[in-house]
Amino acid sequence: MAKARWILPVALWGVLTFFSYEFLLKVEERSLFLYDALWLKDFLIKPSGILSFLSLFLTQFLHIPWLGALIWTILLTLSAELTRIIFRIPVTLSALTFIPASIFVAYNMSMGYTVYLTNLPGYFYMPLLGYLWALLTVTVLRKERKAAVLLILFLTWGFAGYYIAGFYSLAGTVATCIYISVSGDYSRTGKILPIAVTAVSLLLAPVAFAGTTTYNISNGWIIGMPEQDYGLTFTRMQLPLMLAMVCLAIAPVIKFRNVLSGKGITMAIQSAAIAVVIAVPSLFWFRDDNFKAELGMIRATELMDWDKVTDIYSKLQNRHEKDPSWQPTRVHVLLKDLALIKTGQEGERAYGFENGCKKQKTRCDVPMAFQIGKILHLNYGIPGICNRWCDEEAVLFGCNYLTYKYYAMIAILLNDNTLTEEYLDKLEKTLFYRKWAREQRKIYRDRDLLAQTAPYDMIIPLMCYDDIITSDLNGCEYFLINHFNGPMPANSTPLYDRVALYFALDSKQSALFWPRFNIYLNSNKPSRIARFYQEAAYLFCNIENDPRLETLPFNEKTRNLYKSFMQSASRIGMKSLKDARNAIPANLRHSYYFYFYYVNELEMF
Amino acid sequence: MRKIILPSLCLVLATCSPKLPSSYGTSDSTPTVFPDYKDITIPCNIAPMNFVIEEQADAYITVLESGTARAVVKGKTVRIPKPKWNKLISDPEITVQVYVRKDRQWTAYAPFSMTVSDDIDPYISYRIIPVAVESYEKLSLRQRNLTNFKEKVFLSNTMIQNNVQGTCINCHYYKNWETDNMMFHVRHYKGGTVLVLDGQLHKVNMKTDSTISAGVYPSWHPTHDYIALSNNKTHQSVHAASHDKLEVMDEENDIILYDTRNNTVSVIENDSCEMECFPGWSADGRTLYYVSAHYDAPFGPDRKNKIFLDREMLHFNLYSKSFDPDTRVWGKSRLIYDAAAVDSSMTWPRTSPDGRWMVCCNSTHGIFPLDQIASDFVIFDLKDNSYRYADEINSQYAESYHCWSSNGKWLMFSTRREDGVHTRLYFSHIDESGHFSKPFTLPQRDPDFNREFLNAFNIPEFMKEPVHITARQFASFISATQATQSKYESKRGE
Repeated sequence: MAKARWILPVALWGVLTFFSYEFLLKVEERSLFLYDALWLKDFLIKPSGILSFLSLFLTQFLHIPWLGALIWTILLTLSAELTRIIFRIPVTLSALTFIPASIFVAYNMSMGYTVYLTNLPGYFYMPLLGYLWALLTVTVLRKERKAAVLLILFLTWGFAGYYIAGFYSLAGTVATCIYISVSGDYSRTGKILPIAVTAVSLLLAPVAFAGTTTYNISNGWIIGMPEQDYGLTFTRMQLPLMLAMVCLAIAPVIKFRNVLSGKGITMAIQSAAIAVVIAVPSLFWFRDDNFKAELGMIRATELMDWDKVTDIYSKLQNRHEKDPSWQPTRVHVLLKDLALIKTGQEGERAYGFENGCKKQKTRCDVPMAFQIGKILHLNYGIPGICNRWCDEEAVLFGCNYLTYKYYAMIAILLNDNTLTEEYLDKLEKTLFYRKWAREQRKIYRDRDLLAQTAPYDMIIPLMCYDDIITSDLNGCEYFLINHFNGPMPANSTPLYDRVALYFALDSKQSALFWPRFNIYLNSNKPSRIARFYQEAAYLFCNIENDPRLETLPFNEKTRNLYKSFMQSASRIGMKSLKDARNAIPANLRHSYYFYFYYVNELEMF
Repeated sequence: MRKIILPSLCLVLATCSPKLPSSYGTSDSTPTVFPDYKDITIPCNIAPMNFVIEEQADAYITVLESGTARAVVKGKTVRIPKPKWNKLISDPEITVQVYVRKDRQWTAYAPFSMTVSDDIDPYISYRIIPVAVESYEKLSLRQRNLTNFKEKVFLSNTMIQNNVQGTCINCHYYKNWETDNMMFHVRHYKGGTVLVLDGQLHKVNMKTDSTISAGVYPSWHPTHDYIALSNNKTHQSVHAASHDKLEVMDEENDIILYDTRNNTVSVIENDSCEMECFPGWSADGRTLYYVSAHYDAPFGPDRKNKIFLDREMLHFNLYSKSFDPDTRVWGKSRLIYDAAAVDSSMTWPRTSPDGRWMVCCNSTHGIFPLDQIASDFVIFDLKDNSYRYADEINSQYAESYHCWSSNGKWLMFSTRREDGVHTRLYFSHIDESGHFSKPFTLPQRDPDFNREFLNAFNIPEFMKEPVHITARQFASFISATQATQSKYESKRGE
């Protein structure tokens, strides 16, 4: 039984490493740890800053998911073991000690889309480290028996501990008071004094530090916990952590030796505890196939592994082949389109996938811009808007590895050398991004080399337009549509022409399509016209009785498919996208014709 | 015991004190240092001008010498001890000699100098703001002691706002560089203009039914209890691919006068075809300078978008208007500089305390020089109304907000010269002929600060004394106090 308790952490490590690595990577990407004194200074000026600093230090190792998961699992196990030792919980009831750890697991792994909105640096590790600090608090403070020393110790720890760990330290001090109160080892004075001093430090510590820091005083008592923002509620962000601390307060009250008097009771408690430890994370663990696929696609996009982007999309689609209600999210669709454009396959494959606008499984609104705003705008050659989203994210959630990476790439694209150096300097001070920074340093001053190096080789040609300003600040997808459907640049490049044609195709406007189609043919000089461009041209010719129907070299497959599709469509009539999907066979569904007639209800962001 | 301690101490000191190389080659050039503090003029009460030597070498020794003092500093980062620095700046000139060792060979670079000049106000204040378009979650108003490195937040919006509603704080300003009479605006949550009048806190709402907005850019009358402020309806737009990241435009602008004793607002200029902004009093308070652009697009929902489309045609001219502070009677507006005639735009007129000079920002178009690379300073000699570009302090990037020290010897300004994005503070000495010395950046304990700190310094103002009200006092007052509504009164005479 004693050895069996190690099964839980090992299982957790396995699940994290093999099934949740994309999420762990996202957590890491959205954090920052710089080996830099000035950066450290920022953490020293506010209560719980040190805890935040240590948490960020540990978060960086999630860059290697198995390692990060291992460290986290070890610390979770350590927290359980220390709980057992400190509160003298018998090994036969050891599952109880994993309850706080299970809350921390549930807390982190239930995050889902909230990962884009959390604004506390180091939030992934902070609850756990805070709990460990609270355990340390109990260990240190309960040892002393002399009233005078207790007084000084509680007073010092109350304030110094608050500075180090904020809320968690206050919780630890309260737990110690409870421990002392129920223990028979202390004199009456020895019991009253800690309670009195703790009450004072509880009231005054946040006020005492208020003069030197700049937080809202009403948040002083919960400092160290993620704030409620963007619709993130108390129940989601703070209550679970408070519950974990309640465990710490309850532990001293339970007389475990009495519990052990009956073997049956022990077994029952242990079994119930095991059930809780497994059930809590399982219940709250955020499981969403779409989210997982989005994370994978975003990661692959960042690594410019375009085939993997479409591969994830295909696999996702195949997994849900038998579910007529399944739709991709706009994140899937936009990243799939980007990947196809980057590989020159949009004309051949874009409408071969299911389209849709599945609402993301999130209770609060997570703007698309915070999810893929940077990645889209940069890759579509609009660095100014990418920069804008970096700025907003940096202010709202703090700078992270990704924002610095994007800042650096924007500066490189705009040939801002000083700025480039500043951002690369930041990344040089990280453990896992310095290699990337050094690679950029080798290329960014040589504009010819840069123009041949990914990702710049596919971005610079898209920056051929005259600068524009836009106050359409929030809709990522709308912005891209307006941008590429706007006037063609005087010096457009073949790549820009191809992208503009695709966006025209997507907009279903023949007035946009034809001029762009001609420009595309002239500049790209394709040896053969890609499937969906043919389908679009054939469709528009038919609709408009355009004489080009006879002159353009449409292949037989395009003509036949159109004929079959129109027969099928006339049979079922106009239907909703969902119904049309069920009614029309896959080979006809995956055509531009289907997109043109039935994909009309997409909500864009 | 003493026999052990004293020799040990001597040994430690001997080891610590850098030895100058006995033999070395020489270089004709001066070393590259960051910040660039070579051959600059500095105030006689400034904090140590720490810098980094930007030369690759194995070892570095820097010798700073003045007539009576000497400091030797070892290492690439030159941090000058304060006591030694205080002695150095008591002399009129400091010579800096840098020695570097490469491949066991010492080289002495050509020395550079720092000329010690007039004193400067001991305090400045500024807003620290992250670079962003819409988000303003972390803003702070800070004061810095220029004679050392102490910086203190005197208000942060994080102390006021909550998780649902945000607060913006901006445009702090002082009457005659003294903090007993000061102001700043609080926008959105718990909004209002915070005024400190003879040390007492007040919060007012200057928006009236007859004005287009609350007060924005202020200028406190030097002798009377008035503040001239602009009214602005501001919008922002983002550039898709440009070194200029942002375009800030006003849909409407007017200028108002706020009477601090009576809490009344009156209009100074509100011509519907003119966009008046950036009021700035003359030193004697008998003239108000301001800028205005002619724009007669119809008011309505399309005006905002139209103004962005027309932005390059929007040129702000410089005007003055006489004022009798006792009767509050205004004279007629007078065109000082016709910027539209030369397709440029003049903003932020600020006169020196002796009334001789006025410095403005000049750009290609629009009203917000901070976000325009082309923005440069122009200096007017008000004695003969001549003007020139202050090229000795201009850079390739945006020069923007500037202010004069109380003795009129120093100009402090914000500039993006270091990287084009992050606004930094620079200082320059002005001589009697109106010529500026080479500008230098605000000295920091860590000389790499400007390269590490990726927030912007905004709205720098000189102060003769620190702000005495604490951040908590400000925050508590703002949170607890409802803004008192200002009354509107009509303009007197013209």
